[in-house]
Order: sequence, then C-alpha cells, then structure tokens
Amino acid sequence: MRRIYVNPLPVRVWHWINATGFVALIVTGLQIRYGGLIGLMSFETAVDLHNWVGFVVIGNYFIWLFFYLFSDKITVYHPELNPRKYYREAFRQIRYYGFGILRGDPNPHHANPYNKFNPLQRMLYQIIMLLIVPIQFVTGLLLWDVTRFAGAVEWLGGVRVVDTVHVLIFIFFAGFLFIHIYLASLGRTPSAHFKAMFTGYEEEEDEAGEDDPGRKSTRGTGGEPGLAP
Amino acid sequence: MRTAQKVLVIDDDEVVGRSFDRVLSEKGYAVSTALDGEEALEKCGSEEYDVVFTDIKMPGMDGLEVTKRIKAKCPWTPVVIITGYGTAENEAKAKVLGVSGFVQKPLTPEMIEGITAKALLEKAEPAAAQEEEMAGEVISRLPEVEEIEGRLKSVARFVKNVALLIAAPFLGLAYAIAFPFIGLGVAIMLGIRAWRQRSRTV
Ligand code: HEM
Repeated sequence: MRRIYVNPLPVRVWHWINATGFVALIVTGLQIRYGGLIGLMSFETAVDLHNWVGFVVIGNYFIWLFFYLFSDKITVYHPELNPRKYYREAFRQIRYYGFGILRGDPNPHHANPYNKFNPLQRMLYQIIMLLIVPIQFVTGLLLWDVTRFAGAVEWLGGVRVVDTVHVLIFIFFAGFLFIHIYLASLGRTPSAHFKAMFTGYEEEEDEAGEDDPGRKSTRGTGGEPGLAP
Repeated sequence: MRTAQKVLVIDDDEVVGRSFDRVLSEKGYAVSTALDGEEALEKCGSEEYDVVFTDIKMPGMDGLEVTKRIKAKCPWTPVVIITGYGTAENEAKAKVLGVSGFVQKPLTPEMIEGITAKALLEKAEPAAAQEEEMAGEVISRLPEVEEIEGRLKSVARFVKNVALLIAAPFLGLAYAIAFPFIGLGVAIMLGIRAWRQRSRTV
C-alpha cells in the first residue's frame, strides 16, 4: 500500500466550505423557487440566506482558483491536447466503470499529484469549475440586485434569460451532487475518496495488474512483452 | 511536503509509459507520459522535469530530435534513451547530444528504477568534465542577464499555464460533444472488423 498526497490543504478547505454552501444554496433556492413544495422558512429568510451563502461561496472559490493558479499542480486542470490519447483513455475508463469494476479489475487510472483525475473526472471538473460555476456566480450576482446591474442584465437579454440560466444550472447542480457523491464512492473502498478529501492522502493498492512488469519478471521472462522490441 | 521528482516518459507504445508509471509512482516519483515528440515538448514547456526518458524510433519526430530540442531548452535535464536495437550510429549521435544513458528493451522494473536513480544522481552532481565544458559559457553570462532570463521564463510559464486553464473547459466541452460520435465510429469500426473476420473464416 502506498499513500499519495493528492488533495492539498487549500483544496480541502475550499471543497468542504463549498459543499456545505452548495447544499445550503440548493435548500434555500428550492424554498425561493418552489415555496409551495416545502415550508422550511419564510420567503424573506430564504432570500437573505441564499444571498449571504452565495457571497461566501463566491469568495471561497478564489481560494481554489488562487491555489491552482500559483501551484505547479495546475496541471491537473489542464486539457489533454491529444484527442486520440484522450479518447483512448476515456474509453478505457468507461469500460472500467461499466464492466471492469464488476469483475474487480484494477482501475486503469493511477493518480499522482500532477495528474490526479481520470479523463472523465478531468473533463467534468474542468467544465464545472471553470465554466458552469463562474456562470452561476455571475447570474446570481446580477439577480441579487437587478436594478444595480440593469445594464448588464439588459445586455444579456433581460431578467428572464438570466433567471432561466440560473435556475437551469441550479437543477444541474442538484443532479450533479448525487452523481458526484455516487462516483466518489467508487474508490478502493466506498469511503476512500471521502477520507482523502479530509486527510489529503489517497491510498493505492500495489495490485499486480495486467501490465505490471513486476509480475511478468517473476514468471521468468525477465521483461514485459509490450516492452520487447 | 517534499515535492516528488518529476519523470517524463516518451514512447509511442503506451505500455512502456504505463510500466514506468507503475514502477516509479510506487517509489514516490510523479510520472507523466507522452506518445510522441510534439506532446513531449508541449509538456516540457509547461513543466520542468527532473529526468526524461525517450524512445528513439517514433512516428513524427524521432527521439534524437526530441532530445536535441529538450537539451536546447533545458540543458541540465538528464535525458535517457530507450532503445530497442542500439545501433552504434544512434548511440554516437545521442552521445553528442549529451544524453545521460541508454536502456535496452526489454525493461525490467529493476532496470527502470536503477537507471532513474542514476540519472538523477548525475544531475545532482554533474561530472567534472561536464562542468568544465560549461564553464566557458557560464563566464560569458552576466548574472543580471540570467536573472532576467529566469524571470521571463517563469512569467512565460505562468501565462501558458493560465491559457491552458482557460482553454480547458472549452476543449473539455468539445470532447464531450464529440464523444457520442467518436463512440459510434469506434463501435462501427469494431463491428466491421469483426464481421470481416467472420466472413473470412466462414
Ligand atoms: C455534500 C456534498 C459533496 C460531497 C460529499 C463531495 C465529495 C467529494 C469527494 C469525496 C471528492 C474527492 C474525490 C474526487 O476527486 O472525485 C470530491 C472532489 C471534488 N468535488 Fe466534491 N463533494 C460534494 C460537493 C461538491 C460540490 C457542490 C462541488 C462543486 C460545485 C464539488 C466539486 C468537486 C471538485 C471540483 C472536486 C475535485 C477537487 C480538486 O481536487 O480540485 N463537490 N468531492
């Protein structure tokens, strides 16, 4: 068993403030938009809370952003520029999630601090953190005070457009939360990734996989078939 | 935290990269892989590696060309050549480029580990001969020039890192949108191949 430090402190702090914030935003958002369905608090309280938590979450985002901007671990959020390599690895990962995992195959992705996400995680997290989350912040900020930002709201097509985008992304995040937590439970053990988000360390089994040179050499070939010229 | 030593492995056969990753990750190295020269140089531009391994024969840019370009950018990075058939001519050419060593396929985990440790050691204590060779160059360089160059380099690296970060979600979105089509294409291709094979055996 080896331990790899994959989640640095700023990322862990950001993540759990963010997760708590998002849950609060979803609950208060539901109360604001679908007050007929739930009655946890008054409309006014919900709006107040939603605004305050929203600002905390926006501020918190900059912990995440500045950490990655000034760290060499920024590479975990860099795109794969070679599409062939990207799709090859992505399909391998899908095969693992849909099929290999049921047979107990080893995970084809090996995390290291500079490349910790598998291709599917990488794509999802990039789109979420660098596109969808910022759009949600901007639309939220505009809706917080539509009169102050009247110019920008008009430019974007009016309150209706801004509000629709904000609600659609809200629904997306409500769904994302379930998928995210489910996928996060598919680690070495169901709680492995959750623990890693608290301690920073991911544990990885030294399993003897198909392409493990160690296993091959014990068979006496002295090398690995794929490596032979 | 002590940052891990970074290793880059360039080989068009992805199994080689994966083997290095397996063996070296366990020892606490951070391994990156590239399937061709262009990708490798791209990676070298945004990150500094402690040791680079490269295959010689690859489609596109060959290993010697990659070595030359890496050495031009960062002469201090040790480069180790992975060879299938070490011809004397290739070895001579590689020596001229200042490579740190050669490893011959097929590789064993012990070889991978050993040659990595050796290359890193040489980097830490460059041979006297190498130092002498560089002395002429160092004297002619003013410290201020070096400092400005260093700062320019780190600014360039920062700008590049941020540009890649900004491009990431858009490229990710493009990959996601193209996903079903690529998937369908691959499925059709595999289907045709299986069908052909079947009709050949029938
Ligand atoms: C109760 C809610 C949540 C739980 C239990 C949870 C759990 C986790 C766990 C276990 C990980 C580490 C495994 C992995 O990298 O996949 C993780 C990573 C991550 N989560 Fe969450 N999460 C929650 C909410 C959120 C929300 C609301 C967002 C974003 C809007 C989010 C964004 C992320 C991102 C971007 C990462 C990767 C972080 C990085 O290393 O840069 N999570 N989460």
